[in-house]
Amino acid sequence: MKRKFEHPAPSQRELNGPKYWRSLDELAQTPGFKAQLEREFPPGSETSEGVDRRHFMKIMAASFALGGIGLSGCHRPERNILPFGKSVEGIIPGLPQYYATAMPLRKSAIPLLAETHQGRPTKLEGNPTYAPLGGRASLIAQASILDLYDPDRARAHTKDKSEVTTAAVNALLADIAKSFSGSGGTGLAFLAEESSSPTRLRLVRALRQKFPNAIWAEYEPVADEPPIAAAQAAFGANVKPLYHFAKAKRIVSIDCDFLHAEAGSVYYARSYAMGRKLNSAKDEMNRLYVAESALTLTGSMADHRLRLATSHMMAFASALALELRDKLPGVEALQSYAEGVPVKPEWIKACADDLRQNAGECLVVAGSHLPPVVHAIAYAINEALGNVGTTVDFVTVEPSTAASIQDLANAIKASSVRTLVVLGGNPVYNAPADLDWPSLQKSVQQVVRHGLYVDETSALAGTHIAAAHYLESWGDARAIDGTIVPIQPMIQPLFGGLTEIEILARIAGEANADPYELVRATVTTTADAADADKTMRRFLHDGLLEGTAYAKAQVSFNARNAAALLRNAPKFTAIDKNNVEIRFTFDHKVDDGRFANNGWVQEVSDPITKIAWDNAILVSPAFARELGVYPTGSLLQVARVEEGELDSLAREQAHIGEIVIGGRKIRGPIHIQPGLATYTVVVTLGYGRSQAGHVGTNAGYNAYPLRTSDAMYVATGAKLTSTEERYALANTQAHWSMEGRDLVREANYEEYRENPGFVREVGMEAETPSTIGKVGEAMTPQQRAAEIPRGNSLYSTPNAQNGGFDGVHQWGMSIDLNTCIGCNACVIACQAENNIPIVGKEQSLRGRQMHWIRIDRYYSDGEIDAAAFGGEGNKKLPEDPQISLQPVNCQQCELAPCEMVCPVNATVHDNEGLNVMAYNRCIGTRYCANNCPYKVRRFNYFDWNQRQLDSLYLGPLGPHGMPELVKMVKNPEVTVRMRGVMEKCTYCVQRIENGKIRHKVKMAQDGNPADMGKVAVPDGTIVPACAQTCPVDAIVFGNILDPESQVSKAKQREQEYQLLGYLNTRPRTTYSARIRNPNPKMPDYAKQPLSRLEHSRKNEPEGAEEGGHGAEPHAAEPTEAKG
Amino acid sequence: MSKLFPKSANKLPLQIVIYLAVLGSIATAAVTYYMTPKYTRVGYAPVQPVPFSHAKHVGEVGLDCRYCHNAVDQSYHSNIPTAQTCMNCHSIVKKDSPLLAPVRESYEKGTPVPWVWIHTTPDYAYFNHSIHVNRGVSCVECHGKVNEMDTVTHMQPLSMSFCLDCHKDPAAKLRDPKDVFNLDSKRLVDQGPEGAAKAAKFVHDWKVMPPQSCSGCHR
Repeated sequence: MKRKFEHPAPSQRELNGPKYWRSLDELAQTPGFKAQLEREFPPGSETSEGVDRRHFMKIMAASFALGGIGLSGCHRPERNILPFGKSVEGIIPGLPQYYATAMPLRKSAIPLLAETHQGRPTKLEGNPTYAPLGGRASLIAQASILDLYDPDRARAHTKDKSEVTTAAVNALLADIAKSFSGSGGTGLAFLAEESSSPTRLRLVRALRQKFPNAIWAEYEPVADEPPIAAAQAAFGANVKPLYHFAKAKRIVSIDCDFLHAEAGSVYYARSYAMGRKLNSAKDEMNRLYVAESALTLTGSMADHRLRLATSHMMAFASALALELRDKLPGVEALQSYAEGVPVKPEWIKACADDLRQNAGECLVVAGSHLPPVVHAIAYAINEALGNVGTTVDFVTVEPSTAASIQDLANAIKASSVRTLVVLGGNPVYNAPADLDWPSLQKSVQQVVRHGLYVDETSALAGTHIAAAHYLESWGDARAIDGTIVPIQPMIQPLFGGLTEIEILARIAGEANADPYELVRATVTTTADAADADKTMRRFLHDGLLEGTAYAKAQVSFNARNAAALLRNAPKFTAIDKNNVEIRFTFDHKVDDGRFANNGWVQEVSDPITKIAWDNAILVSPAFARELGVYPTGSLLQVARVEEGELDSLAREQAHIGEIVIGGRKIRGPIHIQPGLATYTVVVTLGYGRSQAGHVGTNAGYNAYPLRTSDAMYVATGAKLTSTEERYALANTQAHWSMEGRDLVREANYEEYRENPGFVREVGMEAETPSTIGKVGEAMTPQQRAAEIPRGNSLYSTPNAQNGGFDGVHQWGMSIDLNTCIGCNACVIACQAENNIPIVGKEQSLRGRQMHWIRIDRYYSDGEIDAAAFGGEGNKKLPEDPQISLQPVNCQQCELAPCEMVCPVNATVHDNEGLNVMAYNRCIGTRYCANNCPYKVRRFNYFDWNQRQLDSLYLGPLGPHGMPELVKMVKNPEVTVRMRGVMEKCTYCVQRIENGKIRHKVKMAQDGNPADMGKVAVPDGTIVPACAQTCPVDAIVFGNILDPESQVSKAKQREQEYQLLGYLNTRPRTTYSARIRNPNPKMPDYAKQPLSRLEHSRKNEPEGAEEGGHGAEPHAAEPTEAKG
Repeated sequence: MSKLFPKSANKLPLQIVIYLAVLGSIATAAVTYYMTPKYTRVGYAPVQPVPFSHAKHVGEVGLDCRYCHNAVDQSYHSNIPTAQTCMNCHSIVKKDSPLLAPVRESYEKGTPVPWVWIHTTPDYAYFNHSIHVNRGVSCVECHGKVNEMDTVTHMQPLSMSFCLDCHKDPAAKLRDPKDVFNLDSKRLVDQGPEGAAKAAKFVHDWKVMPPQSCSGCHR
């Protein structure tokens, strides 16, 4: 069977350009091809039907013959070493260099250190010099490096679809400046994204001075900072809150996902975790109350979580304020707004009492998407309780003078805009639907678009100016606290892109439009000329400018002014199934859609829904029942649903639903999400792009068409119906229940304080003799790490006599489930560090994702019955579950089951306790993955790196090779694996080896003879990628032979346990139990976490009501042993 | 009953065994000779774009290895010098030599001189120069007496067993750290009767424990 593929004809530029400008189809999921693939290879097909066997044999016979002639394979290919012509200062070939830079996003930025290898950036880490973030970075910051090398980026400036040079672009900009200078800018309009850049601010001011009549509008489809209108009304000042969660003992979140969706979430997550970390039973722990409509990461961390529609948050906030009326004079005005709130009064009362008792050490935060009045109430409570100045600071910010997109739309409608310059953003895709932006933009005579991609907006613009990625740009930005941070280029613009400030400078007629000079001028204004050089050097070296944080403002709440906000405040209105609330959230991964073409973020599954490559219409189980999409059959384990929802490969077959609001309609797959407010339907923005690139185009559905200017974040009056159509969702964890097992061990704070070692009384270990035996129990952890106690095993264990673990280090890891917020930053950091490929949606559906670390998410509602699948408690989805998150990577078992079954010794132990994988030995039997109880081994079913994702099944007939551009992101320290080998977490062995080597080299070069034998690497020198980026320091790694190392101390915590320890695998990764801190006075107080309740119900059915797990040992039940 | 087989067939089993043994030995010998690093690598001496003689520069002029390969004690990679390094001298010495034309061109235009790569390890093996030269392993152990070579020639197989021979018994190969770049120096064990004791002391004091696990070289 002969095949023909229609590849897009390469343009002249591509043919003439450097090699890496070809082969766009890498990472591809081109729609046409996807359809073809689906047709030819029906789901479940393991064989590559499309490849003609005879044809294959013919070709292969030819190559066998060729291979035989003259042993051509044995000849050395001639390769060259290409040194520089002239030496480059500071570059040592082979050693990476680190530069400070920052990733700007809306009104803040994450300070970063970029690792570059021979001039190409390969990995980003947080900049440790910036103390609030402590050298941590977010998922998106980690993934943004892939965008730099995205083959789909705009490769040239174009005018009317034909390429133009940079000189022509500059001429065009000069021409715009000239033609509007006479009229003072009448007819000129700009639409830009929000930015924190001081240089841009300066240039916009210059621009406005030059063109006073021009329109400068800013638009962001999502809000991640509280509306400044709230602060203006409440305090009469241009201030914004900066929260310090570390100092807060009690936190109330009003629909505020501060662990992810707010600007500064990395800082917030980090400081929140500081107030939660328990190193011993003496430590204090904060308590988090969350009222929310969607199930967010913040909600998953809550000690008390209230499901409440977003449109009822005003009522909730009012009710909370009313409970604090003794502190809040004049609060009675809120009485009418609080009526009808569907919350138990005791809930609010107990919560308010708790706040009152912790006055000055508590914090109330409101989500940025909520109306200003809710924020004003939160500010009032914080001020009344004395939190201002301790847990929250108000800092003075520059008020935005930009027009809104609505103002701009009106001007365009009035035909008063002749030239529109769109800087970044993507309004054609994400502007409010009522504006009908596409036709507005088309009606403008001249549209100049500056953007990274030729996307939806560029398609409707006459001129497209290719933008430089931030890793190719000079620039500046402000971190969350206002500190000015530099954006430094790591590489010349790959496609000749220009920066935003350069374009503004040219239009504003700045004498020097060189972005470096522009930034320098901004940064050195305060320093005198002599110091300018020094200031700039220091700025670039440190990656921040000391003392430039926003000034703290003295504020006092003005109730009378704030009351003015009440005029527009919503009164409580009930919602029901015919009047559904739609909550628009921005996606955990692709944000508002700007990262949609990033394969890494598309492939990582959402931390809560666990869906990759798609978004879904999320509905609560109760609403799903009413919609008729509730699954039937046993649901204890979703993967065993008898009919309907899953196909033979256990892939979620979601019903397609239709949402209608005011005549606007969208369609998308319905996914049942426990924990939602009953009639709140959550739709995530950022998907369904029509022109994102090969990866992002048509992934998911587009929810923007539902959004109008008056209902940007929440809309009511919607109707959701389901259709009979089905759609497969790549749900990587369809199974949501722990089934009463002890994977995540949890306790309430009181229990933990009384019995810090409770983990030893939970689960199988409590019932079985110690795996390490009496001898092992008597050993110190250090002895145990070097001399693996045999316990009661028949087999001998590695020890000094048989050449076992004799290394000077013994590596170990501890993961703190109490602080892990499930943000997925570790997953992407690992992917970037370890050259982990993406596999695409088709393969994700088959469960072939390659991530070395995953985050498991479990729900428990305390209803699981012992009667396996027959019990009533097992037959319904939880409405109001507690969520447990657990990162799982290779546990580096000391007695690893994978090693025992490898027929070729490809996976063996090294003398420092690592379970290593020798790729060049692996023959791909997959026995090891089969025998791994943690399911952390990943198999290269295809040559992901060499083959295009849409032609995997063509085998050798498909195109082969990795584009140069994609090669550039690979970490040269790590092997790029090929088809047919197994891989898994290595504890970043490349960092371990390099750390050891650098330590020894340093000692040798220091030349002190007494030090030469001190080959043990100091603690903290070697940090794996996951631990380095973890915003909450949940992952600690180090040498467990050193009793003073961080990891040794972490492992000495009493709540530390081994995952599936009873299997006698002796994992080197251990977990610290999750502690919940509920308030006994709350109506939803449970004496034990619900997962423990399930554990008791399942294992001791008759004793379930007591909830306690007795100290006396029980016989292990056969059902559990099977699990 | 007629004989199905002639009498000579009685010898057949033995003949088959002998033939097979001979064939097997030939195959083994061929593979050992033609397909191992000893054959494919040792002796490899490609023609370089510039006929640079280490014998002249090191042996006669007396340059230290690190004058050109200056990153060898810091990086995993022992760098090939830039054209600028060559021009430090050759802007004065032999500045018009036609043989040096590629170097001058590289220096002027910034384009690299395409030196042919001789010593290499497979992609999945990560060899680090800095740790070896800083801890008593001389260049000569892997590269041979480069100071006597006019044309650099691959002297050692650089196979896994070659690496492991030394990693299993480092004392036998170590030099005094200050002799590492002196290619004419002797190994500690070869330095008279107390040499072995010196080597053992080195291994002990410096805790020389070269990795023998996969993770030492394969990542």
